[in-house]
Amino acid sequence: MTAPLRRSALVSALAVTTAVVVGGCKPSRPYPLDTLAPTSDLTKAFYDLFVEVTVLDIIVLIVVVAALFLAIAFFSTRTGAARRPSVKHSDMYLEMAWTIIPALILLAITVPTVRTIIKTQPYSWPKDALPVEVIAHQWWWEFHYPTLGVETADEVHIPTGRVIHFELFSKDVIHSFFMPQVGGKRDVIPGQENQITLVANVPGEYYGQCTEFCGDSHANMRFRVFVQSPADFQEWVKHQLEPPVKPTSGPAAAGAKVFANAPCAICHTIRGVSGFSKQYTYGFRGPDLTHFGSRTTLAGAIMDNTPQNVAVWIRNPDEVKPGANMPTLGLSGRELNELVAYLEALK
Amino acid sequence: MAAQPRPLYVRELSYLEGGGIYGWLTTIDHKRIAVLYGVTALVMLVLGGFEALMVRTQLMVPNNHFLTAQQYNQFFTMHGLTMIFLVIMPLETGFFGNFLIPLQIGARDVAFPRLNALSYWIFLLGAITINLGWIWGGLPNDGWFGYANLTEKFYSPGLNIDFYDVGLLILGVSSVMSALNFFVTIINMRAPGMTFFRMPMFIWSLLVTTILILLAFPALTVGLIFLFMDRYFDTHYYRVIAGATPILWQHLFWIFGHPEVYIMILPAFGLISEIIPVFSNKPLFGYPMMAYSLILIAFLSYGVWGHHMFATGMGPIADSTFAITSMLIAIPTGIKIFSWVATVWGGRLQFSTAFLFALAFVIQFTIGGLSGIMHASPPIDLQQTDSYIIVAHFHYVLGLGALFAILGALYMYWPKITGRMLNEKLGKLNFWLAVWSFNATFFPMHFLGELGMPRRIYTYAPHMGWDFWNYWETINAYIIALSFVVLAINVWWSLRYGERATDDPWDARTLEWSVPTPPPVYNFATVPTVTARDAFWVAKYGSVEATGLEPVNVAAIAPSTAPDPGKIHIPAPSLYPVLIALGLFGMGIGVLVEWYRVVLIGAALMVISAISMAFEYPTWGREDPHAVAESFLGLDSRKIGIWSFIGSECVFFASLISTYMVYKARSTGPFDADILNIPLTSFSTFILLMSSLLMVLALAGYQRNDKFWGTFWLIGTAIFGCIFLGGQVYEFGDFWLNEGMLFNSNLFSQCFYTLVGFHGFHVFIGVCWLLTLAVAGIRGKIDSKRSLAVEIGGLYWHFVDIVWVVIFTLVYLMRTIKHA
Repeated sequence: MTAPLRRSALVSALAVTTAVVVGGCKPSRPYPLDTLAPTSDLTKAFYDLFVEVTVLDIIVLIVVVAALFLAIAFFSTRTGAARRPSVKHSDMYLEMAWTIIPALILLAITVPTVRTIIKTQPYSWPKDALPVEVIAHQWWWEFHYPTLGVETADEVHIPTGRVIHFELFSKDVIHSFFMPQVGGKRDVIPGQENQITLVANVPGEYYGQCTEFCGDSHANMRFRVFVQSPADFQEWVKHQLEPPVKPTSGPAAAGAKVFANAPCAICHTIRGVSGFSKQYTYGFRGPDLTHFGSRTTLAGAIMDNTPQNVAVWIRNPDEVKPGANMPTLGLSGRELNELVAYLEALK
Repeated sequence: MAAQPRPLYVRELSYLEGGGIYGWLTTIDHKRIAVLYGVTALVMLVLGGFEALMVRTQLMVPNNHFLTAQQYNQFFTMHGLTMIFLVIMPLETGFFGNFLIPLQIGARDVAFPRLNALSYWIFLLGAITINLGWIWGGLPNDGWFGYANLTEKFYSPGLNIDFYDVGLLILGVSSVMSALNFFVTIINMRAPGMTFFRMPMFIWSLLVTTILILLAFPALTVGLIFLFMDRYFDTHYYRVIAGATPILWQHLFWIFGHPEVYIMILPAFGLISEIIPVFSNKPLFGYPMMAYSLILIAFLSYGVWGHHMFATGMGPIADSTFAITSMLIAIPTGIKIFSWVATVWGGRLQFSTAFLFALAFVIQFTIGGLSGIMHASPPIDLQQTDSYIIVAHFHYVLGLGALFAILGALYMYWPKITGRMLNEKLGKLNFWLAVWSFNATFFPMHFLGELGMPRRIYTYAPHMGWDFWNYWETINAYIIALSFVVLAINVWWSLRYGERATDDPWDARTLEWSVPTPPPVYNFATVPTVTARDAFWVAKYGSVEATGLEPVNVAAIAPSTAPDPGKIHIPAPSLYPVLIALGLFGMGIGVLVEWYRVVLIGAALMVISAISMAFEYPTWGREDPHAVAESFLGLDSRKIGIWSFIGSECVFFASLISTYMVYKARSTGPFDADILNIPLTSFSTFILLMSSLLMVLALAGYQRNDKFWGTFWLIGTAIFGCIFLGGQVYEFGDFWLNEGMLFNSNLFSQCFYTLVGFHGFHVFIGVCWLLTLAVAGIRGKIDSKRSLAVEIGGLYWHFVDIVWVVIFTLVYLMRTIKHA
């Protein structure tokens, strides 16, 4: 792939022109939210344009800085104390040049910009595109696959090589759906349907995060994107469609009772166990927990999904995520452990 | 540096001497008001800097618990609000604008000195309102951009957003007042011979800035009024549930917000254009292009607001349009940068601290401008917006741009303002610390942005690759603070031990350096006559083309005669500006605590003080000594003032009308066609139009000195206005009681009541104005010489009538015919 090569050339160019030591920003491992590591047709288009504009920007900056420093070097009073200053205050050709040349440079940016806009914001998409509904809440992400019947939260799975059509909705305030390596960003606005259309190319686990300020825990509204080969994706869908695990013995079975008795079920769906109607629009809603145990993260992808973390979260959600709508349940230590065991069993 | 010897003459009192605290409280001297603005803004700079340090400290390490999320959100919001509205704007427009405009154009004061004082006191109380959260209820916490619908009471129940809303409304009043004042001053108060193309570039930049303020702030005012109504009267301007869209706020905010960016940077351009020629000993390169590019930037700035909204999904056409207009702004901006470089080129450079700040500005602003070109391209912006690369961009434009220009100008103008020199050694230390620390803090934010770090997050995970630069930036942020400590020491040293400044310490080029240091109250003993650009330089050395090495023409720069204070008109101090501002403040606070007695007391104080101020001295009963004498255009300043006010009002009504048009289509019933009473409104429209005719007759009466018929028609106009208002009261009552259409019934009703109600309020103010004039007329105070007072009231009255014609056409006649 040529992208990393060009990328490093770009970083070195930045380093040279700014005389800033870039040693500190050399990656020891990949940056999870790197905007310069495209893995889809969409982000590749963004990236190519970025490279072009950056190169032109750097050239212009070099010209301006060089001219100013040359002027400083030549004309300071120290270097020529008695020299008579120039009194020239206009030059038609010079002024025309620095009007027309920048205009041409801008034209060289504008034309590919408009072409990329038209290419990346299609009015239509193929019939076999996979629709994925993204529903933003304060402060977590809900994902629906209307054609597949799958519902999940904070972690979205998509197959490679197929057009994916994200449809963005918000249940409360304005959020922004940002997954730099896969799809750039797009605001999620209540009362308005936005969309992102892309084809992902490289399987892997990618990070995402809300980037429009949305209240107290704006920083804690993250998500993951799992790009999978079509076969792996089919496997995942198949698993998601299975009914939830019904533990029959041990702490997990006791935990199922705790879940049913505590207020959990008011907000959280476990298919076949709890849930509310699709028409439910207002008020608070929590993530679908049918296959909670199969996810790698929880609480807006801010923590790894381990029994300890789940316990920490349930014990006092507001401490982990300030302003979170999930209440403190006041469970006893044993109940908590049983509930965690049950949730982790929901593979 | 050639300090010019000045011939001996008796030194008058400088503007800083005498008066005591009461003198400063009642002052209407533009230089004292400038100092008040400057001191207030510097206090706010300390506060804003403190907030920035809190933010940076929280971000120093991942998963930090130094601040809570709520505290962090308050601090980053207040940092933005403080730096924009309470530091950069007041320093550039309030401080340098006030101090320099009259001195640079050869005037004795601004056009409306008492209005100037009023602007300051309202600004001060607005600043206090925004900052009330320190002691009560919590600071604003939804960002300086306060995106709806997060600002609705449901999502932000506290007082935080109310301080934001009311505080910005109050500050908007102050900004529009001073912009109007400066606009009229620049247009009308220039010294004889100072044509537009002989004005110093700073005056050009402020002329353009004041137009931007006049035409941009009303859009924000309308947005804030809608927010206020949503929060207090339960309307639905930004509520999805009623069919509205929170995007309306973004459009209104950025129609204001992008010109606001230029309101902050154009005066900085002007200051840089003053500093660079002086210390290069060369005239400004490409003066006409510099002036035209300012105008072009201002013009384009109204067509680019959408580039703040590329991620909102406006569609490919809008995205492309806003991308192209945004790119276009780079051309005039480039012209300015290249012209500054060309001014330096070939000069005889003197590296004073002021010049160093200006040179650093040119490079740093270029970096900020170039990253701006990136964001102007929507596909790139979709990766970069709301990430730290945007934070880097606007700190390069405003922090390392505007603030550097302000610091440079402070070093240059400090001697003229205080009469003492700053220490150049400390100044150099200040500069190098600032240039290092600002760059070390903000340049790595480009890297953080490319690594995907979002803005406005109070915490982040450790494995994101952001740790090092965040740590590094926080350390350097404290060095920024250190550089300001050096500045503070320098200021203290200068005031205490600083060398006394000569009148022209930098061998400068423009008129402000031709007056004594610090300037006397009346500025100019004799008003200068200007024959060329760089007027003072020409007086000293004979021509613009002089190199500054020629002998100084001492006779030309000496005052021709000793000033005769009796002949110089200096307006008298007034306490009313303070009282009016206090009244407005009382109204704001009363609304916030929902304690309506305080609102009434504040309103009463405001109205009584305003009327008292109107009758305080100028034309009621004796000759106005300076109305036409000092005018450049031969027009009365008040007339230009009312025209600029009308221009500002146009944007206000345009915002209300377009909101009505958009929301009417999204509303649920009852609809306009079901409700509006066309025959009744046609009648009252006819009455209102006829009142304009009576107004013309009244003015004609006074102009031919026919006091009886003048007063007669004036009262007739007021009566017709009252009939119109009566019709409106009947109409509203009918809708309210018989149709059950409440203020917040649906989108149509709230927009209708707001638009028509605000127009009715304007008519009401007009009727009060006419009756005041009529009282003066009955008492025989208005004759043909003073008919201008009637003419100005008439202009306002005609404007309100024309607005009604538009409203009647768009609201009543163009009803929605068919509903789905």
